[in-house]
Amino acid sequence: MHICVIGTGYVGLVTGTCFSEFGNDVICVDIDEGKIADLNKGKIPIFEPGLDLLVAKNVKEGRLTFSTDLKNAVERSLVIFVAVGTPPNEDGSADLQHVEAVARQVAESMNGYKVIVNKSTVPVGTGNRVREIVEESRKDNHSFAVVSNPEFLREGSAVEDFMRPNRVVIGAESSESVAIMKELYSPLYLIETPIVITNLESAELIKYAANAFLATKISFINEVANFCDEIGANVHHVAKGMGLDKRIGSKFLHPGPGFGGSCFPKDTRALAGAGRERGFEFSIIDAVVRVNDRQRQTMIAKIRTTIGSLRGKTIGVLGLSFKPNTDDMREAPSVDIIKALLQDGATINAFDPVAAENARQIMPDINYCKDTYETADGADALVFITEWNQFRSLDLERIKSLMKQPVIVDLRNIYDPAKMADCGFKYASVGRPVSATVR
Amino acid sequence: MKISVVGTGYVGLVAGTCFADTGNEVTCVDIDEKKVNSLKKGNIPIYEPGLSDMVRRNVKGERLLFSTDIKSAVEESQIIFIAVGTPPDEDGSADLKHVLAVARSIGTHMNGFKVVVNKSTVPVGTAEKVEAEIKKHTDHKFAVVSNPEFLKEGAAIDDFLRPDRVVIGVDNEEAADIMRSLYRPFVLSGKPILLMDRRSAELTKYAANSLLATKISFINDIANLCDILGADVEMVRKGIGTDSRIGSSFIYPGTGYGGSCFPKDVQALIRTANDHDYSLEIIRAVEEVNKRQKTVLVDKILDYFDGNIEGKTFAMWGLAFKPKTDDMREAPAIDMINSLTAKGAKLRAHDPEALSEAHRIFGDRVGSELELLDKRYDALEGADALIVMTEWNAFREPDFYLIKESLKTKVIFDGRNLYDPGRLKKLDIDYFSIGRPNGNGHVKPRF
Repeated sequence: MHICVIGTGYVGLVTGTCFSEFGNDVICVDIDEGKIADLNKGKIPIFEPGLDLLVAKNVKEGRLTFSTDLKNAVERSLVIFVAVGTPPNEDGSADLQHVEAVARQVAESMNGYKVIVNKSTVPVGTGNRVREIVEESRKDNHSFAVVSNPEFLREGSAVEDFMRPNRVVIGAESSESVAIMKELYSPLYLIETPIVITNLESAELIKYAANAFLATKISFINEVANFCDEIGANVHHVAKGMGLDKRIGSKFLHPGPGFGGSCFPKDTRALAGAGRERGFEFSIIDAVVRVNDRQRQTMIAKIRTTIGSLRGKTIGVLGLSFKPNTDDMREAPSVDIIKALLQDGATINAFDPVAAENARQIMPDINYCKDTYETADGADALVFITEWNQFRSLDLERIKSLMKQPVIVDLRNIYDPAKMADCGFKYASVGRPVSATVR
Repeated sequence: MKISVVGTGYVGLVAGTCFADTGNEVTCVDIDEKKVNSLKKGNIPIYEPGLSDMVRRNVKGERLLFSTDIKSAVEESQIIFIAVGTPPDEDGSADLKHVLAVARSIGTHMNGFKVVVNKSTVPVGTAEKVEAEIKKHTDHKFAVVSNPEFLKEGAAIDDFLRPDRVVIGVDNEEAADIMRSLYRPFVLSGKPILLMDRRSAELTKYAANSLLATKISFINDIANLCDILGADVEMVRKGIGTDSRIGSSFIYPGTGYGGSCFPKDVQALIRTANDHDYSLEIIRAVEEVNKRQKTVLVDKILDYFDGNIEGKTFAMWGLAFKPKTDDMREAPAIDMINSLTAKGAKLRAHDPEALSEAHRIFGDRVGSELELLDKRYDALEGADALIVMTEWNAFREPDFYLIKESLKTKVIFDGRNLYDPGRLKKLDIDYFSIGRPNGNGHVKPRF
């Protein structure tokens, strides 16, 4: 099938590349000429495991091209994916100007029946809005269909998530467009992927509801962890006891400094906002957002309590991205935490395997180290903020000998408290007693 | 092993019987002589599938005894389970007076090393309190263990025999070994026994129930949002439930959770946290949403009848807080009945198991505002509308023509989303459910 994907951000690039891998002819379109020139040279602007190889392969085999010419791309395609950004407005609602502009341009370029698919995470009602715009602006009254097909990609495993999804959600209004979408996803039938077919509004809501629920699990376990700190219980035991209940499941029950990234913060606020606009108070999501904001403050307080006065101290920070295997710094807890430490008068030496470049743009005032040991060198304390695999089995003796004082605050519970105590570290983590040991 | 279980309520009876079934010698103790006598005669005071057969079998095999004599039960047992009630105080905290009274008796009658196990759902820190209470009355060695139950009413036997996991909070090696061997027969399939500190074990029970309550309140909030946005919560439920990190369990919208566990445990956890100056925001929101959810269907009924239901009669199917139980504690049906009668309506209610419980709860009001009927279709006689409150299997595929013929106004209010809106529309029955586009049938893609 001939398709195009408008927007070469994270979602657009993964979607376009994976569809070309399925054998479709795909044009990825962006207005940013520099970006398209880079992509044509094989430069991938984001870090996503496996993506660069897949792009190179499909470009070489002639199924994947990059272009700034939206009109030509629309003319040549049956299915047009809209995958442009929907940055949050100041009030947390999604800014739809890019989506609307693309809808207008697509309408003006139509030369026959088209399926226009919203892949961007857009508020409920956007599909209808896109339909109105296309109806107003289309040429020659060509017929078309609007589809909502939300993405469920996790940064760091997006290619795998696209190729082996838990499910595909298609919100549509005509049997013709459903048939075309099913055809496009037919390679997934082999692995028996469930396809949920529903109306536009429900499909749009599914994306927000899924992310909001996962965010709820995170905030829930963070509250339980903080409470464990109060009463001397161990959140890992509690989470394990809960997670073995099949109705709960063990996923997303890891305590930490709170969720970040480009999805959960934005989507939770947008969902609460969508309700509020219509006079509906989404109490649980409001609480989830509040708890997540509070969690960062709780972590800052934990660092202060463990280290004492921060004035003149050198703090080594390990991990900056909002989670491992990504260079994404959007709403990363590290940003708020480091800001508070700087305000307290600390000097920050930081290391992240991938996100340092992005971090430098947001936080130019801290020192970036080349590895973990350089970060530990001369530090009064080390703070783990992101659980990159390479932090999991460090040479603790060497770290201790490099540090000015053996103090570690582990916001991802990477290490065993009892073992750290044995090694002679003053060690604090989230929701576990100082003496706790992993059974 | 010789075991006694103090308290023959729901949890005590199931635990005692299941331990007897794996070959232990179990004495179930209760201070209520009448209850013990009737248990000896084989009368089981609660409705739980499979329980009475299992009791009979083990009584016959002389592995299961009932007694009021706590002294000899303690003296003869190596393990003593405390499974008495912890009713909520007015402020929502669990009342420990029964638990501590049993601890006192155990301490008084102790004649050697005993493992004392808290099976009741008790707040964090109770194991220490029980330990202190026993210590006041004995010099013998003992260990207090926290071993929360995870039984679902209606499936309790299966849950006990085939648990997802066994949680044991213990700080004594000897007691840990004894507990492990006691539970070994139940985890031969490889399900884990989790050993942990006692406080974590106590918290695990509350946290698990609170997360399940969170799932219910979350989907109820989504359902209400669906009503506003014109989306269909049944599709949203499928869309999110297929995410393996979320799972499809416990995301069924309805009229709010009830029963003897969720409301009590959620309140108790909020209260325990408050006692430690910690505010659990999400769980507080969960409780607030649940209160609100109990009025959602009432509002739909009032809307339909333009706010005036004075003199109307409603047929109600389902009283128990969920199917396969006669339990009506905190059942949404109670709130529904109270809301409708307060506005001058009458009810004709049917439930396959909970009628005698309803008689007890509503007392004199039965016969005036409320009729309780043995047969589901009898409830429809002379009724203006039908309300479905519990998803008993018998309500899932009714004779809609008979319903339509019987009702004065052809309308069904369904708190459990049992029926297909498209089908009822074809039958010309007005239909209102939770989070699905109302009245005008199922919103389906316009094919």
